[in-house]
Amino acid sequence: MASEFIARRSFKTDHSSPVRFVWSHIRRHPLFGITMIIGAFSNAALAAAVPYYIGLAFNAITEGNGLEVVTSMAFAIVGSQLLRAGLQLMRNFSAEIFAQRIERDVRDELYASLLGKSMSFHDMQPVGEIMARVTNDVREMNFMMNPGLNLIVGSGMFLIAPLIAAPRMYPDLIAAPLLFFIAYVIVQIRYLRRLNPVAQNVRASFGTMNASVAETIDGLQVVKGAAQEDRERSRFSKLVDELRDFVVEQGDIEAQYLPILLLGLVTFGGFLHVTSLYLNGLIPIGTVIAFTGQIALFGFPVFSSLFSYSQLSLGMASAARILSIITTETTLDQNSAGYSEPLKGKITFDHTDFGYTETGAQVLHDVTFTVEPGKTVAIVGQTGSGKSTLTKLINRTYDTDAGRVLVDDVDVRDWYMAALRSQISIIEQDIFLFSRTVADNIRFGKPEATQAEVEEAAKKAQAHDFIESFPEGYQTVIGQRGVTLSGGQRQRLALARAFVTNPPILVLDDSTSAIDSATEDRIQKAIWSAAKGRTTILITHRLSQIRWADHIVVLRQGRVVAQGKHEELLKTSDDYRRIFARYDAPEADESADEESVELNAK
Amino acid sequence: MGLLGGLGADKYDRQYDDGYLIQRLATYFKPFKRRFSIIVVLVIVFASIGAVNPVIISSGVEALRDQNPDGTLQLILSGLLVFGVADFFVYLLRRRLTTRMIADVIAQLRKDTFNAAIERDLAFYDDNKSGKIVSRITNDTQELSQVLTISTDLVGQMTEFLIVFLVLITREWRLTLVLLGMMPLVFGLTLLFRKFARTATRQGSRSLAAVNDNIQESVTGISVAKNFRQEAMIYDEFDTVNRQSYTINLRRGFVLAMVFPALNALAGIVIGTLLYIGATFVIGRAIDIGSWYLFILGVDRFWFPVINLSSYWSQIQQGFSAVERIFALVDTENVLQQTDNKVPDEPMRGAIEFDDVVFEYKNGERVLDHFDLTIQPGESIAFVGHTGAGKSTIAKALTRFYEFQGGTIRVDGQDIRTLNLQAYRGRLGIVPQQPFLFSGTVMDNIRYARPDATDAEIREIAHSVGNGEWLETLPDGLQSDVGERGGRLSMGQRQLVSLLRVLVQKPTIFILDEATASIDPFTETQIQEALDLILSQSTSILIAHRLSTVRSADRIIVLANGKIIEQGNHDQLMAQGGHYAELYNTYFRHQSLSYIENAREMFAEAGD
Repeated sequence: MASEFIARRSFKTDHSSPVRFVWSHIRRHPLFGITMIIGAFSNAALAAAVPYYIGLAFNAITEGNGLEVVTSMAFAIVGSQLLRAGLQLMRNFSAEIFAQRIERDVRDELYASLLGKSMSFHDMQPVGEIMARVTNDVREMNFMMNPGLNLIVGSGMFLIAPLIAAPRMYPDLIAAPLLFFIAYVIVQIRYLRRLNPVAQNVRASFGTMNASVAETIDGLQVVKGAAQEDRERSRFSKLVDELRDFVVEQGDIEAQYLPILLLGLVTFGGFLHVTSLYLNGLIPIGTVIAFTGQIALFGFPVFSSLFSYSQLSLGMASAARILSIITTETTLDQNSAGYSEPLKGKITFDHTDFGYTETGAQVLHDVTFTVEPGKTVAIVGQTGSGKSTLTKLINRTYDTDAGRVLVDDVDVRDWYMAALRSQISIIEQDIFLFSRTVADNIRFGKPEATQAEVEEAAKKAQAHDFIESFPEGYQTVIGQRGVTLSGGQRQRLALARAFVTNPPILVLDDSTSAIDSATEDRIQKAIWSAAKGRTTILITHRLSQIRWADHIVVLRQGRVVAQGKHEELLKTSDDYRRIFARYDAPEADESADEESVELNAK
Repeated sequence: MGLLGGLGADKYDRQYDDGYLIQRLATYFKPFKRRFSIIVVLVIVFASIGAVNPVIISSGVEALRDQNPDGTLQLILSGLLVFGVADFFVYLLRRRLTTRMIADVIAQLRKDTFNAAIERDLAFYDDNKSGKIVSRITNDTQELSQVLTISTDLVGQMTEFLIVFLVLITREWRLTLVLLGMMPLVFGLTLLFRKFARTATRQGSRSLAAVNDNIQESVTGISVAKNFRQEAMIYDEFDTVNRQSYTINLRRGFVLAMVFPALNALAGIVIGTLLYIGATFVIGRAIDIGSWYLFILGVDRFWFPVINLSSYWSQIQQGFSAVERIFALVDTENVLQQTDNKVPDEPMRGAIEFDDVVFEYKNGERVLDHFDLTIQPGESIAFVGHTGAGKSTIAKALTRFYEFQGGTIRVDGQDIRTLNLQAYRGRLGIVPQQPFLFSGTVMDNIRYARPDATDAEIREIAHSVGNGEWLETLPDGLQSDVGERGGRLSMGQRQLVSLLRVLVQKPTIFILDEATASIDPFTETQIQEALDLILSQSTSILIAHRLSTVRSADRIIVLANGKIIEQGNHDQLMAQGGHYAELYNTYFRHQSLSYIENAREMFAEAGD
């Protein structure tokens, strides 16, 4: 499968189905699987030994053999149970290691696959959704192994132990346990088939309710402001009632838990059988007791499976969700044998079409323009007109559907992806900074950069002064102890981060709000200095930048409707003229005042 | 489940004693009195069946030894059959009734909690994270529902325990004491393990949280990592914390893995002891063989309730704290109180009068200081001033989102404290600084404040702005899904929808807390058009951040420290060269044409 990143890892897993996926993880730990099964079996066998010893003790007493046999039986019970505890401990430890390793490995696998996915995947997938997979679902897979599978294997042995022990007491005695075993398996499978879909409804309905409450509470000011409390109440009420109905439906299915009936019947049937054997003089009284004790062992699987199977089905559902992320195809690959040269900075769009496959709608239509090395281009247009999308084709965040994008006259698909991306810096609209020090954020793209390089970049980006104003300066950890950065500061840090790598092409999706003029001045300065000596593409709301770009491309609904210089566009493009229109009349006769204000300010 | 969330107490949390909590919770069960009593009967019946089983079997063994005198065995066998089948049906009935009752109680409790949350004033939400409130409404009630279910099971097991105990003590009290003497040991052992486990669990959750934080951060910042090709670096960081979490959580698992083996070993010792002592009693003719067997069977019946009680003990405690959190939310009182419930006069004209208004934050910081202002019907006022000057506070007080401490605010001569809040707010059109959209379509959102507006009306209003051109960029026009919290729309589009919402509402008073986010020049032009439409219809309070908004107001009011220091229109104030001129230079200069025209020269020397 195509991937943008491959982690060095020693194991491979099967992705063809959730069951195989789980199995391929289980298979990696044969030792612990075996000790778990041995532990479970010996646990059941030694539990079955207790009624056996009790039966022998009863035989001894009824035959008037005195206390010696009872004493040894008592010690046998204590001894066997201590041994059982020891083995159980081994089994539980194995199950725990087993489960924790699977959690660790599945998470690792999922995380590495996330890193390998293209940006089109990440753009479509909300972070909350991914986090739910990585946190809850991975956990569920752990719980599926322990206690889930551990209990199922453990209690399963309690189903098998009487099947082995009973015929050894007297061959006919296998009848009741065998019938129970068969009936139990059938009934249990049917029960789970009925329960699963309803349990899923309950979970989904709870999720919907939760999301709805969260939305109402977050938007409470609007709710109150529009006086719509009653509507929100009735909406919530409906969701709560819906959930209640699903919960009742689930409860009703759980109430009809046939294994309880089977347990009652096998207790009766088994006792009937064993007593008739006794009355016919075929077995001693101790065997009656030992056999009754064997039947009582069925209580454990009957009651534990209420819980353990739902754990198993939750886990499998989680595995399926995780797998669906891992197996989502991404089309881009690294092309490591591709073109890899220092970049000069020429960008050509050649009849480019593009659409995000998920939505089906085409976002860019037949886009054609060229940017010469070192020039500054402003892309303007309404939100949703395709401006950001356009820039994402340059570093192959996405691939075009038709037409080509060329960098230095080489199709980007022919470039080695790492060489291409490392020479293009994109500063996105939502600037993301990592929770580490300011310095580490700035050197993110070049971890070996020295402190001097970092500071130089910060100075160029007009960020040095505000960084120095923090108590810990460049060592300030972002996002901690109340260090909050304004949009303008974040943007300047992102610029500094880009400066460190000194990219020949810089794409700046610049829409930070800057409400005071001094900040605006600094940002302007930083951007002008960024644009120097490299190809710069600006997606900007700042009219001053649009006004002074070397070349302006006007997009409307994914089409280039006009391009050229400011003066040309004012003449040729209605769309372009509209945005400058409102500045014409009133501001013109006022510019005299403004001049004076600026002078006053200085 | 509340494990990570409920760590720190919130300000409004109160302490209730458990007795009160149970009493108050009991009121929720009142409507289900009949169901409740049937359940109690069923629980007792179910427990009795469970308790009778070993008695029957042991009597059967005794009867067998005596070679089945006068058909006792037949009786016992039919007893086993009847009880075995009855067991299933009683469980079925009990479970059905319990599920319904608990589901109904929880649904009611959820509704009450939600109502409480929606009634709280906004000041409450400034102090309390909304996520935590949501968790009280959904997760805490969920937890309570689990605890209630567990409790019915536990009560059943305890009843069974009690019945078995009574049977045993009548058979042979000394043996019963032996059995009973083991119980504190079991209980203590389980609690001890839980104590160890709690420490280990806390460490485990912490390390897991570290892993999750790490993933959350890298997934959020994945585009940066990809742009700089640093995937390998962040993978290594993840690998470290993931391994660490594995080690710590494994340790926690080991602690928990010891519980059942230890209990089983203990059970073995108890059974061995009873077997031996019982045998001596049988030999000494103190008990018969059936009773001896009954005691051994009784170990299980004693064992499980005690183990369950001790292992669910902490969950029950958590249930209590969940109930406490729920009632604390329900009981919190609003700071804001209306003195009357009058419906405002219709039609409202929109005359606003601030009379000696004082507004203070909780810490005593005064934001509005004896503030006086009269606004004429239909007038539009732009408030300008530095951050903290009190601009937003005017809106906060006027909308009654927050309580003011002194003076009076009158609308059309009526004290707004005496008005019915919903009716009053229905006349206000409010656009908050962060426009908030609800999941649904664009049309749903525009209609939000007036659910009875027709589709045609909405369509007309949507097209009144920029010929509806803005709809072209949405995939399905007015029917486009806005996504959670409006996430699929741009900031500008969200603002536009917010404004259209107000246009549909046709409010008497329009209150705009202007967003500071930057918006593409095309959308901004359209926002301006929508704004102009509203201004022509309503009395308007504009907390302005844009030069164009300021200039469109009839009157500009300059605020400093909660007082009016200048007022007039743009040209007058500029001519004065006072505070407004200074504000202009600080906040608005860069939005002016001269700045745009001179930008290149101003920064030509930048960047060496």
